[in-house]
Amino acid sequence: MVFNKDLLLEKAHFVLKQADKFGATQTEVTITSTTGALTRLANSIIDQNVAERHFRVSTIAYVGSQKGSTTVEVFDNESITSAVETAVKIAKISPENKDFKSLPEKQSYSDKVSLADLVSKNTIEATPEQRADFAKLAIVSAQAIDKRIKAVAGAVSHTTAERIILNNLGLEAYDRGTYGNINLTVLAEDGTEETAGWSADNRKDFSKLDIQTVAEKAARKAVDGFGMKFIDPGEYEVVLEPAAVAGFLFFINYFGFSAQSYQDYISFLRDKIGTKVFSEKLTLWDDAYDPRLENREIFDGEGVPKSKLEMIKDGVVKNLTYDTLTASKDSVQSTGHNAKFYGRSLPIAQHLLVGEGDSNLDEMIAETKNGILVTHFHYQNAVNPTKGVFTGLTRDGAWYIKNGEIQFPLKTLRYTDAAPRFLAEIDLVGKYMDLNDARALVPPMKLPSFKISGSSKE
Amino acid sequence: MRDLTEKALEVCSKEGATYADIRIVTIKDEDISIKNGTIQTLNIANIKGFGIRTISNGGLGFAGSYDVSAKEIGRMAKLAVRIAKASGATRKKPIVFVDEKPVEDSYKTPIKKDPFSIPSEEKIELLMEADKRLRAYNPDEIKMSRADYRGHQEDKVFASSEGAYITQQITFCGGGISCTAITQGEPPQTRSFPGSFRGNFSTKGYDYFESLKLLENADKTADEAIALTGAKHCPTEKTVLLLDGHQLMLQIHESCGHPTELDRVLGTEAAFAGTSFMTPEKLGKLMYGSEHVNMTSDCTLPGGLGTYGYDDEGVKAKRVDLVKNGLFVGYQSSRETAAIIGLKESSAGMRADNPQKLPLVRMTNINLEPGDWKRDEIIADTKKGILMSTNKSWSIDDKRLNFQFGTEIAWEIVDGEIGQILKNPTYTGITPEFWGGMDAHSKDDWKVLGTPNCGKGQPGQVMYVGHGCGTARFNNVRVGVMQEATSTIGVQ
Repeated sequence: MVFNKDLLLEKAHFVLKQADKFGATQTEVTITSTTGALTRLANSIIDQNVAERHFRVSTIAYVGSQKGSTTVEVFDNESITSAVETAVKIAKISPENKDFKSLPEKQSYSDKVSLADLVSKNTIEATPEQRADFAKLAIVSAQAIDKRIKAVAGAVSHTTAERIILNNLGLEAYDRGTYGNINLTVLAEDGTEETAGWSADNRKDFSKLDIQTVAEKAARKAVDGFGMKFIDPGEYEVVLEPAAVAGFLFFINYFGFSAQSYQDYISFLRDKIGTKVFSEKLTLWDDAYDPRLENREIFDGEGVPKSKLEMIKDGVVKNLTYDTLTASKDSVQSTGHNAKFYGRSLPIAQHLLVGEGDSNLDEMIAETKNGILVTHFHYQNAVNPTKGVFTGLTRDGAWYIKNGEIQFPLKTLRYTDAAPRFLAEIDLVGKYMDLNDARALVPPMKLPSFKISGSSKE
Repeated sequence: MRDLTEKALEVCSKEGATYADIRIVTIKDEDISIKNGTIQTLNIANIKGFGIRTISNGGLGFAGSYDVSAKEIGRMAKLAVRIAKASGATRKKPIVFVDEKPVEDSYKTPIKKDPFSIPSEEKIELLMEADKRLRAYNPDEIKMSRADYRGHQEDKVFASSEGAYITQQITFCGGGISCTAITQGEPPQTRSFPGSFRGNFSTKGYDYFESLKLLENADKTADEAIALTGAKHCPTEKTVLLLDGHQLMLQIHESCGHPTELDRVLGTEAAFAGTSFMTPEKLGKLMYGSEHVNMTSDCTLPGGLGTYGYDDEGVKAKRVDLVKNGLFVGYQSSRETAAIIGLKESSAGMRADNPQKLPLVRMTNINLEPGDWKRDEIIADTKKGILMSTNKSWSIDDKRLNFQFGTEIAWEIVDGEIGQILKNPTYTGITPEFWGGMDAHSKDDWKVLGTPNCGKGQPGQVMYVGHGCGTARFNNVRVGVMQEATSTIGVQ
């Protein structure tokens, strides 16, 4: 993919001009150009292998406080004109939005991150043959761990994108990015049972994905999974690897901290701002400028620049994430967290970090009297978001720990528990680990109490 | 259009492909959402693009783009073959498809009123009024109201190197209302109509949306939301559970739909959505449920959200048995996956949600076939139990065995009659044990319900699927699992 800011700028200005002609009083246009490719592994072969090109033009037109929007995947000016005309036309028939005050004014952007910091040439130039070589390396590396490795599954992918946001109040925001990912689930079989192990890595530079380490780690987890047993439902200590912690984060972020969830009475943190809800060992913030994050965007879906936002400080709930509309309802400033999905939008943090401690997995296991070690969770969901009650299942490696030692691997377990309860106490927080297996930067944790509600044997 | 499809197939052939197909697709989508008297979303999407799938060197390659020009099609055809060759290098056996007679045909969803011929103003007016009625029912207690509409239309051309050339127009629409009640000292409760997550959808015209009668159902919806705030909690016990269609559909979706997708069974989703306990050696042997359980995959069902003329590899729509009298007998499949386990034909289950995405085995209309009962007869025949309706939360393990669902509302059943409302209902179970406990299913309230929110695949895709079902009864089910899990910690 060749970046072409001038083309995006030309098209975006064309949209603003057309919208003005059709009678819009305020207009926002977002244009994204994306090239992505993904090689999918199953049964130790390349099973699916795809490449996609997208060029998407999203127009939000206001006539006074009446709003209309269109999202089109077209490139020619005639089609874009038609889409803009439609956006203005439907704005004119739309009821007034009493919460709307204005689109964001012209913004200035930090020079802490340059465009060059956001992309990798190696990712832009990645090829199908390179993905196939990575896939082969993953297969060979996993199979070398143990003869009982039955199948390597997963995906190797890279994406390159550029984005421009303009509005007719003078806002002009442009960024670009590259992203590479490998995620593997390795299955092992010994004739009596099938086990699984998982690992992943995310890098801005596709060529730096640590394929061999990911494959070996996933394979070792699978091999260490033989001899699985059930344990009874109940309260256990739990040692959570980073990906397991990151699994909770999405739900805590969306259901707890999004101003939209808060304003919709869904948030379990309603009336809890400034209150200590979590362990003093828990600190959570959002910071797109942190260079340790591999995938960063320097402005949000409205072109509002990102800034560091404290969300939990020493267990105290500090701030919600806002975009322009939710901020105007609460008479505060946007925190730069708008995200858009096909014409719908909401505020949500996308550059999360959880403060690290000085512990590690070995110490956490050694400190556990009666608990479980979890690689990551599957199919989590909110059971009662207003109380922060979530559920989910262990997957790709969980082990029972007794008196500081791993005893045996566990069959699938289900938890159902409330985040304000199970995060009210944290025994240990670890250092960040080498593999970046979650899109947030998250350390491992040991919690003193976690509620297992069932298993695949009822 | 034929010149473009021929160009793609010709380039693929020249580059060494042994098979190729191309889809050129235009999608229109209208999305309207009203919240608390304010329009949140009024968006019209228009997506155009193509996707080329080829086999070369025994492997599969796919490339798609938004630019439907001869030049870009030629470029992406070459890329698709290059990707296929790279894929083939890792395969132990070349990809083989089951035979499918190539046809030239066309199909159009039969509709009375084209949803895109109805002015947006008319839809907004109806939604605004429904939203207003929800709050007007009790302005002090209904704090949130919502009304949604969505219309969708796809025009597709499919052509293959085997000689198929198929044009289709698929249309669906639908919507719904929901509201949240808050009373003094009680957590919020939400109630929706006709279903949660923005309502219900059907491959029918705008007349289907009108038939939902959102205005007429606003008062009842608001009343139930308020009643829920003061209701008793769902008890924690093992009991007789009745599910009506608005929850039963998701039970079918998660515990029969996904585990009978043959690509998933064969490991394609092993690293993402998971695998399946319904493995090929169990075909024709596993008792999936009781003798009353009959499940089908049927993309011919009129009005079903998973209804079409041909799938995205040119296979004509058909009905396939998945479970017959409780016995696991069939899969949802593609031409490739059917060949792998020796089936004679595909179930016509391949679809992509976007022109630039690779078709995958997707649910069509996965149905629990009608039983012999009437809904009222099942209730009258139940001495003690709980009736649950309208999905609120869902979770199931990677082999599709352990599931846990929450619903918006439940009612006690005592001595054959519906009793008081219960709040925060949840239930859990193991798939074959749960379906093994089904002893009744109705026919009088049997209908095909639809959800446009089924996620699968890497890169991710979201598909629209249907589920035909009525009201069913299950014995010895563990309910109230949320209360059980949180009762000791003061969370209600």
